[in-house]
Parts: sequence; C-alpha cells; structure tokens
Amino acid sequence: MAASDEMAQKDEDDMKDEKQAEKEYADFEARVKRTIYIDHLSPLVTSQVIKASLAQCANVVNTEFIENYTIEYEIPAAALVEVDNVSQAQAAVDLMNNFPFMLGGMPRPVRAAFAKPEMFPDRPRKPGLKIEFSWVKQGDPGYDGMNKLKGLMRRQEAENMALIKNQLEEEKELAAQQQETLVANSNKYDMLENLVNNGEITKLAQHYKVKLGDD
Amino acid sequence: ELQVAIIRMGESNENIQFSWGKKRAKGGAKMDTQFYGSFTFDNVKYSLYDCVYLFKNGESEPYIGKIVKIWQQNEAKKVKILWFFTPDEIRNFLRGPVAENEIFLASGDGTGLADINPLESIAGKCTVVCISKDERNRQPTPKEQTVADYIFYRFFDVGNCTLSEQVPEKIAGLEVNVLLNPKDEQVICYPDQDVQGMDQKVGAGLVAPLPQSAVKMDEIPVAPLPQSAAKMEDEIPVAAVPLSQSVAISLPPSVKEVDKAQVAAVPLPLAVEEDVPKPTQKVFKRTESTQKVLSDKMPSKKLKLSQDLTTKNMPSKKLKLSQDLTTQSMAPVPDVKVRSVPSAQQTTRQADRSKWFKPQPWHGKLAQADKEGRLVYIQNLDIRFGASEIVELIREALQLSCTAKPINHPTYDDPNNGKAYVVFNSRNIADEAVMKINSGLVVGGRPLYCSKGLLKVPKPASGALVGHLTISNQKMNPRQREEQKKAVSTSHCSQPNTIEYDLALDWMLVREKQAMKFSILHKVNAASYVLSVLAWVL
Repeated sequence: MAASDEMAQKDEDDMKDEKQAEKEYADFEARVKRTIYIDHLSPLVTSQVIKASLAQCANVVNTEFIENYTIEYEIPAAALVEVDNVSQAQAAVDLMNNFPFMLGGMPRPVRAAFAKPEMFPDRPRKPGLKIEFSWVKQGDPGYDGMNKLKGLMRRQEAENMALIKNQLEEEKELAAQQQETLVANSNKYDMLENLVNNGEITKLAQHYKVKLGDD
Repeated sequence: ELQVAIIRMGESNENIQFSWGKKRAKGGAKMDTQFYGSFTFDNVKYSLYDCVYLFKNGESEPYIGKIVKIWQQNEAKKVKILWFFTPDEIRNFLRGPVAENEIFLASGDGTGLADINPLESIAGKCTVVCISKDERNRQPTPKEQTVADYIFYRFFDVGNCTLSEQVPEKIAGLEVNVLLNPKDEQVICYPDQDVQGMDQKVGAGLVAPLPQSAVKMDEIPVAPLPQSAAKMEDEIPVAAVPLSQSVAISLPPSVKEVDKAQVAAVPLPLAVEEDVPKPTQKVFKRTESTQKVLSDKMPSKKLKLSQDLTTKNMPSKKLKLSQDLTTQSMAPVPDVKVRSVPSAQQTTRQADRSKWFKPQPWHGKLAQADKEGRLVYIQNLDIRFGASEIVELIREALQLSCTAKPINHPTYDDPNNGKAYVVFNSRNIADEAVMKINSGLVVGGRPLYCSKGLLKVPKPASGALVGHLTISNQKMNPRQREEQKKAVSTSHCSQPNTIEYDLALDWMLVREKQAMKFSILHKVNAASYVLSVLAWVL
C-alpha cells in the first residue's frame, strides 16, 4: 500500500508541476498580447525615449532590446515594448502604423507590430509542445533524403541572407538620395531667404517686371 | 589601513559642506559660467585633475574618473570627468598581464571618453598613479606606487576600442602632461569624516534640467517640398523573386562542406547595385550619442559586501556599502548622469556607460564558452522551441546537460529555420554533441544541423540609423546646433504638410515592398521544404 501511496503522491506532484507550467505560460501569453514589437529603430534610442514617445497612448512597463546574434550586417535596432494592457498596445500599434512615427530621428519612421511568443528569447516552456525526435543513420533508407533536406535549408538560409543584404543596400541608397534632395532644397530656401532679407528680391522683381505680392 | 566609510546616510543635499576654491576664467554665451580650479566638498579638497569616485545608483562598484573641468552655471555646479576603465569593463579588449589595481585611461574620441556630471555626484577622492615610462610622465616614487589606490600606464581608445601603452599627445582637448603624474609628489589626504561643517547649501539636487527646450525639426529652415520633387521613382517590382531554383534539389556533392555563410554561392536575380553612394553622414557626433539605459530591474542585483572590496585590495580607502541599495538608502548621493539631455518631457536620461564596453551578460557567457570550445550553433529547430524545450531535447536525445538560447532575429531571420546557441560543459562534450546531431538527429520531422562557434556579427551600431538625415546649416547658432543634436530624444507623428512626411512615405513604401519580398521568400521556402520532405518520406 505504501508503494501505491508514493505513486499517487508522485502523480499529484506532477499534476502540480503541470498546472504551474500552464499558469506560467498563460501569464506569458498575456504578456505577449500586451507587448509590441518595434523595429527600424535607431540604435541611439534608449528605453526612456521609447517610454516618453508612447506616453500619449500607452504606459510602457518594460523595454527589451533585441540582440543581433545572427545577421552579419549592420541592422536597425528593434525592441519588445510591454505596456499596461492590450488596448494600449492596440492604440500604440495603430498610432505608429497610421502615421509615419518618428523616433529619435527623421524621416525614416519606425514600424510597430504585435509581438509573437517566438520573439521572446526567455520564453517559458510551452505546455503541450511535443518534443519528438528520431535518428536517421547512415545506411538507413531515408539517409540521403535527409542530407538533401539539410542542404536545402542551408541554401535557403543563404538566400535569406542575400535578400537581407540587398535590402540594406537599398535602404542606404534611399537615404543618400533623400539626403541629397534635402540639402539641395535647404540650400535653395536659404538662398531665397537671403534674397528676401537683403532686399535683392525687390531689385530682381523690378528687373523682371514681376509684381511682388507683398502686403 | 583605515577603513573609511564614505557614505552620507540620512543626509540631505543641503547639509553637505561645500565651498569654491580658486577661480579661473569666466565663460558661456551669456558670461554666466564661472570656471574653477578647485573646490571643497564634504570637507575634502578637490582640484583639477584629481582622481575621484562616482557612484552609479544600484551598483556596488563606483566609477573612477579624473576631473578635467569644474564650473558653475547659474545654480548648477558641474564637473567634466575623464573616465578610467577597470579591467572588467574592457575585458574583451584586454591583452597581456593586468595588475590587481590597474586601470586604463580613456583616450581618443567617442562615447565613454568623458562626461559632464553634477558636482554632487562625486563620492570621494582616490589616488591614481601613472607608471608609464614615457618621458612626459614624472616617474613615481616607490612609496607613491605602494600607497596608490590604482595605477595606470595604458590607454583605452574609445573610438576604435583599442588598448595601447603609447601616450597620446592630447586627450579630450587637453595636453596629456596635465593628465599624467603631477610634478610635485602628492600628499595623500583622507576625507574628513566630520560632517558638521554645514555652511553652504549645495544648490539644486538630483535633477539638473538644462534650459533648452525640446527640438522640433520645423525650426530648421526647410519648407515643404512641392509634390513632384518628393516622389522617388518606383524601382524593383515586387515579385521579382523567381526562386524556382530552390525547388530543384541538386546539391553540391559534399553537403558538409557548405559553410553557413556562403552567400556568394547563391545566384539571385535581385541585382545588387555595386556603387552605392556613401551613406549619409552620421546625424549626431558620437560624443553626443545616447546609450541604452540599464533595464529598470536594477534592484535585483546583489550587492557585493564590503568583504569583496577588501579582497580587491583597495588600500587607504575602503568603501563600505551598507544594506540594499534598493531601499533607496543611497538617495542622498545624486545619480551619476551621463550627458543629461532634455527629452520632450524634460526627463533626464541615465545612460549606462558600463554596458557600452561590457558586453551584455549573455554575450559574455557566449564569448567565454566559445573561447573554451563549448559553444554549439544549432539550426533547423522548430521556431516555437524556447530555451527549456531545447535543453530538454538535448537531455533526452543525447543524455547531455546544457544551457540554450534561441537567437532568431524577429525581423530578418527565416521563421522556417529556428536557430539557437547551446553551451555544453566541456569542449569534448560539445564536439561529441555536434557529431551526434549531424549524424542524423531529426526533430519533429526536421533534420537538425549544427556547428561550433559564434556567428560573426558586427559590433552594436553606435551611429544614427540609416535614413535619419541631417542638415548641416552654417547659420545655426550653437544653441540650435545643441538642440538638433538632442533631437534623438524626441519623437512625434509626422503630419502630412511637412517635407519629412513625404520622405517618410518613401520609407514606408520601401518597407512594404521589402516585407512582401521576405514574405514571398519565406513562403516559397516553406513550400519547397514541405515538398522535399514528402519526396524524402515517400
């Protein structure tokens, strides 16, 4: 009888652990729902800046910046920003997607989306996610196929990296283009301002017989 | 050796003794700044080029720095501190033997060289002796060297993160002579613990808001562009991603040789422009760049007890730290602020200087494990697997224990392919694991593959984001220039009648196209993967 009591106790403990894990994951899921993922973020932005910038529609509880472990190029920063509740998260995402939202610089806006569980590096165990594995060794029928699959994955990985590289270069081009345009226009308006300020404009107007619409 | 506790417990700022010493020049735009050569604070005399401790709220180890400028502007007393680095802070860049009490003087240009802090954040004086053999450095007497709290002879360049014994000509605009050993032998003085001298009020407390207001980009003279000029040309059509090549499974003979970063080997139809114009100049000088803030959960750090400090062999001055900093008992000591900058809401930002050179905790662990050959990089995991799932998998499949970290980047990495770093207990075990996994471990229908070592990633970016533009306007006065630099801490929604709105739309367009390209690529990849699995199984 003692043995079965022990077994019963063990089952009970397992049940407790199970319930604990479920609760933990449920809490985590709730946290995910009220977290937004912001990317195309400037590396100069700190969590204080993010908090202040969202203050109009959401209270930021926590900010976690995403570490780059895998991309060999310089990429924009990204962060997981947890707010008080889902409606605030919704408001923030709407705000940042309906208008170009400038954070820490212009004119490139940030992008916001709802967070997903797999974005959190320290996520708890997902109860019910089966971890099944098998071995396919040399000589087994599926061995070659398996290696082909691995090769395919590696190629896809390389393609992905190439696409990323291409995108980043595209972005640099756009930035350079915009900078040029901006500077050119700035100079143009500076010149205009100068003309107005030092009275040249009236002389020009007289010369070209154009009426200046001054009050 | 005397144990001297430098704690101002239960004091308010108003009661700490303070008096100015020698006056120097006057300056500032409105001639409202007075520079000084020395001052007495809490009955300790500090002079220019003295070495001091500054405390960071929440940390048990103080920062060490050299006072290079002292001034008062309006009500605020400020000091400019040139930083020393402890070996820990620059662990990744250290080479050669390191003495117990060795520190390194910052040099070069960039973040982390020097910062302006409120005078009240100084926690005490310390002796730092330079033992460099450079002729400009007066060689210290043996006695000086023994009693010194710290010694230094090497310089850490904050700009290119290099350590050097060579003495630079100038640091932070100062001739290096004044930063080396003073000409006269120093008389080491201990702070007077008598805290009864309460002559002067020490001005404003913790927060020193600067007079300028937040920047609005509209202040810079750029009027809205006429519509036509703003439109950029439509370029790459979205669906130009023929990936039929990936479906055909014809592979190079030895799959094992394929390295994870053989980008060049894959012929992609997307043309890559080779002569991309140089990226726009950095918006803000690195010296002004802001840094990531210590996460708000600092109270969870365990404090080192005074015993630890003893073992660190800090002679003459031992800093005794009493209970939990979380109970805010250190409130009277003002926070060390690194470049307090006004944001739109007038909050002062605390930048985390230590994190700039000290890698994130995980980075450190991973680097260490990599050095010891214990780090394994596994791919083709289920993206949903978290650290605990991976640890469990390794335990069940290989009967090995490990720590794991999933590392996919949410924006860029293919969600079809879950990646993780796994750290084992020894090099041999790691090698064994790699061999076993590569030999044919299939998890949930996915054959895993792995290799040893860290992936090469660039250092965390320190400049402005690509796409954050600036106008260098000669006509801006220094105040406006300062404000523009501080624009990093502002944010706003762009309104349609501004030039930035049009430019922003360009970015959103590019972004949408990119997102679609990625989506197509990933979908095609997933589909071809499924097809291959079927082909394999059947």
